[in-house]
Amino acid sequence: MKNSWALKVSSLGKIHGVPDLESLSDTGPDAGTAKSATTGSIVAAWDVSFEVSPGEALGVIGESGSGKSTVMRCVAGDQTSTTGEVFLQSVDHGRTNVLDLDPSRRRGLRVADLSVVYQDPAEGLRLNVTAGGNIAEALTAAGWRHFGRIRERAAELLERTEVPLSRMDDLVGTFSGGMRQRVQLAKALANEPPVVLLDEPTTGLDASVAAGVLDLIRNLLEETGVAAVVVSHDFAVIEMLTTRCVVMNHGRIVEAGLTDRLLEDPHHPYSQRLVGAARA
Amino acid sequence: MNEYIFSCRGLSKDFVLHTIDGRRVEALRGVDLDILPGEHVALAGSSGAGKSSLLKCIYRTYEPTSGTARLRLRTGELVDLTTLSDQEMAHLRGRDIGYVSQFLRAEPRRGPLDIVTRAGVSRGMDRVTAREAAAHSLRRLNIDEKLWDVHASVLSGGEKQRINLAAGTISSPQLLLLDEPVSALDPANREAALDLIGDLTTQGVAVLAVFHDVEAMERLASRIVLMRKGRIEMSGDPTLVLEVLTQGAHV
Repeated sequence: MKNSWALKVSSLGKIHGVPDLESLSDTGPDAGTAKSATTGSIVAAWDVSFEVSPGEALGVIGESGSGKSTVMRCVAGDQTSTTGEVFLQSVDHGRTNVLDLDPSRRRGLRVADLSVVYQDPAEGLRLNVTAGGNIAEALTAAGWRHFGRIRERAAELLERTEVPLSRMDDLVGTFSGGMRQRVQLAKALANEPPVVLLDEPTTGLDASVAAGVLDLIRNLLEETGVAAVVVSHDFAVIEMLTTRCVVMNHGRIVEAGLTDRLLEDPHHPYSQRLVGAARA
Repeated sequence: MNEYIFSCRGLSKDFVLHTIDGRRVEALRGVDLDILPGEHVALAGSSGAGKSSLLKCIYRTYEPTSGTARLRLRTGELVDLTTLSDQEMAHLRGRDIGYVSQFLRAEPRRGPLDIVTRAGVSRGMDRVTAREAAAHSLRRLNIDEKLWDVHASVLSGGEKQRINLAAGTISSPQLLLLDEPVSALDPANREAALDLIGDLTTQGVAVLAVFHDVEAMERLASRIVLMRKGRIEMSGDPTLVLEVLTQGAHV
């Protein structure tokens, strides 16, 4: 089971401003800030490394501003990282750092190698397009041409994510938040990517709706064998979806471990505060 | 001499509480313990003695501070649980080492049959076999069939506890850790649960258990280990240890 990762992130870093060494020494958990007092640069993420295996979900937890979403966006290709390497097993058997690919090839990875589910469905979907149309976009990008088969596959995906088929031809903009999130999941899974990144997938939804979406995600992760990275500030989400997680604080990973261990026996002072606050 | 399934040496756990001036709390102070196949070892001692901490250190819900904890896998391979990577440990959980806590972990919208079946599938059983085993186990633990597809979150504490036990025992691990698995059960259901646990021992599963009642220990344990302040104070034949225990209670 060693070296069977689907996604490997190595020493990823993102600095807004001058990428110099000075900014690194006066930022981070010990400095208590991500902004360098000497250079004014913001070290949004630094030295972030992790691996995720097929069928495994890794959590990334931390307060807002800790760098979680930056890491996710750099891995997804929505942001350019300052340094680091990202490998996907599905790309050249994991031998090519996908950060070195030219932009069009990089964008192409989002078709079938790596999907993202955003907190805001408007980022992952086009709201002025129907639910079926949004999924069709993903399928045609992967080379699907037969209209009937595309409809069939779209219907199958919507059924799987519990979206009523009667809504298939309605604009996503007319959907509720929870339903939009389900369509986003359907689209993300359309081409059966080996890796899915989920950024706060239930944040902002009503509690009962969030619980339903969470159940759905959990079932999908279990049933598809996809490798998932779940970014969340919410321990309940991390606990339900992941077996391992990393804790981020001021742009750095301060602790990594089995999720139950991190919740019951957090070591780093920041993790202890975070868990303590969640339990209170 | 029989080959042990589990053997720990000097297993220790210190908590460093950074939120309270970096205070150090010693939960385990060097535990040595061997468990043979088919042996049921019950941990006794007052609360705070380190019973649950020992179980959690073995399962790696707590990270041991020092010591070793060797487990013989189904494959015959011997591994030190304290040095396994997180991924390796996650892989062993359920398959080679099981843990049943007092409470059901967050399972909001799934029914008992689904929960127990999935537990089996996640341990490598095929779905049909897992479903059959799940049904058998739920029936045995007197979970009303009418409730099998009702979301577990709305069931009673005793029902949840039995679902938890069924899920934790669906496939026989090498070592099963039980932390007060029958604490919320009425006498009849408690009986059924203890029966199920007893059968595991007969099948050769090594069990390390914490029960708060003496009767369960008397009935199931082949050995009782008495803990005090994070150490093993005494270990031996159940009747002997219980005698010492009850005498102690009178002093």
